[in-house]
Amino acid sequence: MIAHSVTTKRGGQDGFRDAKRQLDICNSCRYCAGYCPVWPALERRTDLTPGDVTHLANLCHDCRDCYLACMYTPPHEFGVNPPQTFAEERTATYHRFIWPAARIRQSAVLATVIAVVAMAVILVGLALLVTRGNALGTSDGSPYSVIQHGLLIVLVGAPAVYAVVVILAAILRYWRFTSGSVRELFHGQAWMSAIGQAVTLKHQSGGAEQGCTYPDDRPRQQRRVFHEFVMLGFLLTFFSTASAAFSQYVMSALPPYPVVSVPVITGTIGGIGQVVGCAGLLLLKRRSERGQTTPVMWRADFSFLWALVVLNLTGLLVLFVRDTPVFPWLLIVHLACVIVTFSVAPYTKFVHFVFRVLAIYQNVLETRAPVSPA
Amino acid sequence: MTSPGWSQVASRLWDVIVIGGGNAALVSALSARDEGAEVLLIERSDVIFRGGNSRHTRNIRCVHGDDSEWNTGAYTGEELWKDLCGIGTGPSNEALARLTVEASQSAPEWMYAHGGRFQPPLAGTLHLGRTNTFFLGGGKALINSYYRSAEAAGIHVRYETKVTGFEFDQNRCTGLLVEAEGGAHRLQAKNIVVAAGGFEANIEWLRRYWGDAALNYHIRGPRTNDGSVLANLLEAGAHSAGEERGFHSVAVDARSPKYDGGIATRVDSIPMGLVLNKNAERFYDEGEDIWPKRYAIWGKNIALQPDQIAYAIWDSQVQGMFLPPMYGTFSGPSVADVAGQLGIDPDQAATTVAEFNRHTAPDARARFDPSGYDGVSAASQPPKSNWALPVDTAPFYGIPLRPGITFTYMGVQVDSQARVQRVDGPAFDNVFAAGEIMSGNILSTGYLAGFGMAIGTVWGRIAGKEAALNDRT
Repeated sequence: MIAHSVTTKRGGQDGFRDAKRQLDICNSCRYCAGYCPVWPALERRTDLTPGDVTHLANLCHDCRDCYLACMYTPPHEFGVNPPQTFAEERTATYHRFIWPAARIRQSAVLATVIAVVAMAVILVGLALLVTRGNALGTSDGSPYSVIQHGLLIVLVGAPAVYAVVVILAAILRYWRFTSGSVRELFHGQAWMSAIGQAVTLKHQSGGAEQGCTYPDDRPRQQRRVFHEFVMLGFLLTFFSTASAAFSQYVMSALPPYPVVSVPVITGTIGGIGQVVGCAGLLLLKRRSERGQTTPVMWRADFSFLWALVVLNLTGLLVLFVRDTPVFPWLLIVHLACVIVTFSVAPYTKFVHFVFRVLAIYQNVLETRAPVSPA
Repeated sequence: MTSPGWSQVASRLWDVIVIGGGNAALVSALSARDEGAEVLLIERSDVIFRGGNSRHTRNIRCVHGDDSEWNTGAYTGEELWKDLCGIGTGPSNEALARLTVEASQSAPEWMYAHGGRFQPPLAGTLHLGRTNTFFLGGGKALINSYYRSAEAAGIHVRYETKVTGFEFDQNRCTGLLVEAEGGAHRLQAKNIVVAAGGFEANIEWLRRYWGDAALNYHIRGPRTNDGSVLANLLEAGAHSAGEERGFHSVAVDARSPKYDGGIATRVDSIPMGLVLNKNAERFYDEGEDIWPKRYAIWGKNIALQPDQIAYAIWDSQVQGMFLPPMYGTFSGPSVADVAGQLGIDPDQAATTVAEFNRHTAPDARARFDPSGYDGVSAASQPPKSNWALPVDTAPFYGIPLRPGITFTYMGVQVDSQARVQRVDGPAFDNVFAAGEIMSGNILSTGYLAGFGMAIGTVWGRIAGKEAALNDRT
């Protein structure tokens, strides 16, 4: 039986069929093997399944090197476009494994703004209710004077727990689809290696440490650097929150924390880092080639980056104005942003790192096992 | 309408104009620029398809010591010379071939200095890892790097520019006629480097030497390789070099496009199975050598068969030992079944395979070793010298094959300074050649993987430098 015919058109409804058509061409060529682990991983899979394509798409760091090197990109009749194909497949991944199945919204900006405003109004009401009308007059710099401690924990904690549960479920569903055995998820050493590769963005090196060919046709380090700003900034703000909790519950020191304290310093650096990183990535993305991604992913990237900018800017502002009368108002805006962010995080580009890290982990498992020809 | 750019380009007297946009052209342009020349490079194609055949290449065969980061061992000049003499009828011009081998040694360093990057050998090509150095991302990526370096060095590049004629005053080229952006222009340069490739995409030209068989050839590179610049030079009195029927060709999937299929359509199952012609008969020792040292013979083997078509057949014992064909495979429970799908006589195919199997060794399976010449042979007619397993384990697989021509060898004759020679009298004063258009000075009939890029790089460097230094006042 003939396996499949090569057509010049994209596969239409059947994304897998067209992805397989393109990747079979890649597997007959293999020139890109030196760029990133996607191509050696493809070589280990000569009979592609939908799970394989999902894995490869999430292992892809979207650096575009392969596209620039490929002699079969459109308008060549083979029409090979791995960055776009993988972007399509990653969108499908988020759709398929995040519960409830919701497509990454093409334009959820308006809905998000409405949600934030609504949440801010609710917060104002709650704050006034709980403090019997005093909440917005105080400016001692303590968030608990505005929103009572227990209430704050519930308001922020509930969506956070929801997001974590949804993402954990997605991890299990993704892993079963791409790899099968849940037991394989527990290799400590492989995790160390995978997290190391993820945190250093090792696979955005362009193969010769020149960086990605992004956003134009020249290899540069900019994207990797800005992405590091965002990632490390995010981790620092996460650490800031954890250290604040530690100060409060273990050291019994309540906020506001002094300027020279772990929560404030890490939070400030992390916030600035994210704003700088997001701004850099937004500028690069505007110059990048739209034909190498999908409209859905293009918008998802922009809205996610903008959301991070707003979230971090409001957070930084809260810190800078905490001794002024506007503190309660800005705090409420920031908290509304945080609550909405946690609630919708699973349905935004935020989740990309979850599947990316899983794919890197799977790649580590594959490459440390003795290679057997498929 | 002529754009302002073109009137400027046409009004200048360039030090060097390079015709072509592939490896040899860019190496020529960069080398001329390194000598301080004002260089214009004119490429027939647009930006996306620039680079001619070079965009489909992936490695270069150069002499190197055992300290090369990208190779698995040393490759001496004597060994490369021996390999070169072992293919076809050996080098056409021994002196120029020796010069190429010797000069190849410094090519990788030059490439790196001009933006080229390398990578470890690709899976499925590990047997080339010692002799050949692989480009990071392949030939198009290398060419992209060269174009970036050219731009940074101040070399002027014009795309979608076709040379229509040369003007000569005795031995001196005085003008270059081109078509671009719908207009005709006359360009002037002190020196011209011609690096415009062979004539493999010109089916009518191939037909002169091959007859109607040429109609069934696939051309692995772009259709712009029609040899028009070569024709211009020959018409102007350039001495031809190389076999007119000489070309580098491989077996490609018969389902692949007529032009520009590149690497993805080639087939490398041949040593592990059998090849039948349209009469369902074997015609050549499939196990003579492992590809890619001898893969070049299969293009010609198939070109010489009736209707220029053949069929690779293998069984489940060897499935997975070679790169998967991009168009998939025909498969079935018996040889006859697969043959039927391929459109050849099922009974004859089954008979041919059974006859072959009868001649395989009883201990073939035990001695079979795909990683090297295993000497497991079959005394069939024709024999199979290596990897001669019986083809008897279902499911069976097959694909149709055609000759896929990479490039033609006949070009212009050059001297050791890459100067194009005339049929009568001395060389042209100011015309140099590099790459496939002069590969016939070196290659006669066979081919060594990666040696085309070595010729392009070595001769691009010579031609670019000589052109820049020629008649300099």
